[in-house]
Amino acid sequence: MQDKKDESFNMVLASTVHDMKNSLGMLGESLKVIFQQIDPDIMNKATSNSYGVVQYEVSRVNNSLMQLLALYKLENNQLPFNPNYYNLFDFLDEQRLIHSPLLKAKNIECKLKVDEDLEGFFDDGLLATVLENIIGNAIRYTQSTICISCSQSQPLQIKIADDGPGYPEQMIELAGNYIQGINQSSGSTGLGLFFAQKIAIMHKHKDKVGKIQLSNGGQLGGGIFCIQLP
Amino acid sequence: MIKYSEKKALIIEDFAEFARAIGTMLRNMGITYTDTVTSGEAAIQACRENKYDIILSDYNLGPKKDGQQVLEELVTFNLIKPNCSFIMITAEKTAAMVMGALEFQPDSYLTKPFNSQLLKSRLDKSIHKKQSLNSIKIKMAQKKWAEAYAKCDDVIEKTPKYRSACMQLKFDCLQKSKQFKKALELVEDIINDRATPWALRGIGSIYYEMDDFEKSEKIFSQMILEFPMALEGYDWLAKIQHRLDKPVEAQKTLQKAVERSPKLLNRQKYLGTLAEQNNDFETMTKAYRQAVKYGQNSAFSGADEYVKLTKSIGITLKSNTNEERSKLITEAESLFQQIEQKFKQDSCTQFRGAVAHADFSSIVKDKKSTDKYLQNANVIFDKIEEHLGADESIEIASSLKTLGLSELAECVLEEAVEQYFDNPEFIKLASKLTSNKHLIENANKANKLNNQAVKLFKQKEFSGAIEFFIKAAEIAPNNVNIGLNHAQALLKQYQSGKKQPQLLYQTETILSDITRLPLTDHRYSRYSELMRLNQLMLQKIE
Repeated sequence: MQDKKDESFNMVLASTVHDMKNSLGMLGESLKVIFQQIDPDIMNKATSNSYGVVQYEVSRVNNSLMQLLALYKLENNQLPFNPNYYNLFDFLDEQRLIHSPLLKAKNIECKLKVDEDLEGFFDDGLLATVLENIIGNAIRYTQSTICISCSQSQPLQIKIADDGPGYPEQMIELAGNYIQGINQSSGSTGLGLFFAQKIAIMHKHKDKVGKIQLSNGGQLGGGIFCIQLP
Repeated sequence: MIKYSEKKALIIEDFAEFARAIGTMLRNMGITYTDTVTSGEAAIQACRENKYDIILSDYNLGPKKDGQQVLEELVTFNLIKPNCSFIMITAEKTAAMVMGALEFQPDSYLTKPFNSQLLKSRLDKSIHKKQSLNSIKIKMAQKKWAEAYAKCDDVIEKTPKYRSACMQLKFDCLQKSKQFKKALELVEDIINDRATPWALRGIGSIYYEMDDFEKSEKIFSQMILEFPMALEGYDWLAKIQHRLDKPVEAQKTLQKAVERSPKLLNRQKYLGTLAEQNNDFETMTKAYRQAVKYGQNSAFSGADEYVKLTKSIGITLKSNTNEERSKLITEAESLFQQIEQKFKQDSCTQFRGAVAHADFSSIVKDKKSTDKYLQNANVIFDKIEEHLGADESIEIASSLKTLGLSELAECVLEEAVEQYFDNPEFIKLASKLTSNKHLIENANKANKLNNQAVKLFKQKEFSGAIEFFIKAAEIAPNNVNIGLNHAQALLKQYQSGKKQPQLLYQTETILSDITRLPLTDHRYSRYSELMRLNQLMLQKIE
């Protein structure tokens, strides 16, 4: 009977999330229409900035909803895991495109350093949700540049680096224990890292398990997020 | 560069605002021809009238057909071009993905919400991939496996990023041309590196084709353990366990797949069959109930799940004094009504429905209705124009026997035995039902003669084969298989001998006597091909 209850709650949750996602989508589309009607001559920097903020917040709420639904399913052993081979250039290019209106609005350059023929084995839907959040945070904290890179496929190593202030020391020290990092002040970064960790360890190959790593520095000098999948 | 100005696009979306937004995105890409529909039914109609290059469909389209059902119908009824890019728009990719059968997967899934840059990138990639693999697909459609295989290597060299896709196509070519050893080598190489769902399915299906069911069972057991969301693994495993005479395990396996994705009609029907065999009538009822429910908006639903559901409801009513008795009776009566309305034109189904209705009425002790539907059955029987199937004939005959109409039951069996004497499962069941000793004896005789004739035919002894086919046809004059075999032997004899016109006239008579073969029968294409050949040869002599 317990199973039945979980199943129906799962359905209620899923359909509510889908409903909220639809609303968010409509909200975003309607705002776009409104902004398009503003005469470009009177459109000032402040208005265009506000539009960027709305877009960013809409995608942040959407992403948080996806993470919450996935985490709920994961807790109840109902999160579908469906890995396959994907071309990494195409996949990561899309993760960049998801944010392209905001990158443009905030005038941030987002580089992609991936070999065009590189293939990786992962669940594309889940990894996309992870990266959407991480890139979103990078956009929030960076100065001018973000770099998405992937140099090898065994184990697969994807890095998101920026030239912002970097991750706070105490967050880096949490290594692997990101649930403690979720609090009011860490906001979506905390949830995002916790989720990333969960998704990373779902990826297993032979005796190896996926993981995430935070550091600061590198070529851009800011924060570096790295997800490693076997 | 892709010339979007030359592409025709269809948007299937029930939310007007979303449809409008997608339309704007497409126009900004340069597409000038865009149609928008708000339901699956309208989408099917639009595809009958137009050939689209791009279709964007929401998965969730309200209460009727969903995006997956639309795609299945379009592919099955050949309503889209092979190079059309079909993109499914979903709220959650994995949730939608498990709902469809493997052979009907869209080219790509797009998760809501998305912007125009992402849509363009997805379309670019999908169209580029289709173009790149097109030369392989053409050869495969022509069944030129060796040439298609060679093309795969060309594509890998030119565009290494399609290597995975090409490896799968290579494997398909080897499997289709029955080069099992080479096919196994190919997937084993891949699995040594890392097991993937398709490679495991590949190995398992090859072992299945080689009749090595134990090995195949092992592979698919591994597959559902490692990839519990790759649902075709359960379908395969259940089929193999059934073959290995483990119907209880097969049912358990299939139930796991149904829990994860209840919408597949054939999976539910197969579960119903297994549950019936295992005398688990609760599961049987549930499975057929789901089949009827999810078949409601499907072009592939048939009378079978309706009749089977009334059967399992009948059995449930027989075995206990259910508190929901009146509810179940109402459900069954409504099903009979739907059978009458939905399949009005099909006399075989009407006959089957009437017998099932009489059977059900007798279970609920309604004597008046029982008599009424039996009378109906008697009337419809004389109007039947096509052959009843083997399973249906057994079902009907056994009901009629129970209801005391032995004479009609024997008629049904007689016709069925004449058609299906070469089906050992059927003969086993029929011999239990019939009280006519000669019936099975004759069936065995006809089967033997037909087999002898086929053997001679294979040795190219056409005149000898014809003699045996004539003898077999004397016992079973209405049997379609004998008729087709006989006709083929006559044509071969004509071609290889002195071209005696007499042989062609005999062929014409035999083929024109085959009048009850439904268009949907798997033998129909062979029948029409023989008709065509015969006509062609007749024209030459006239």
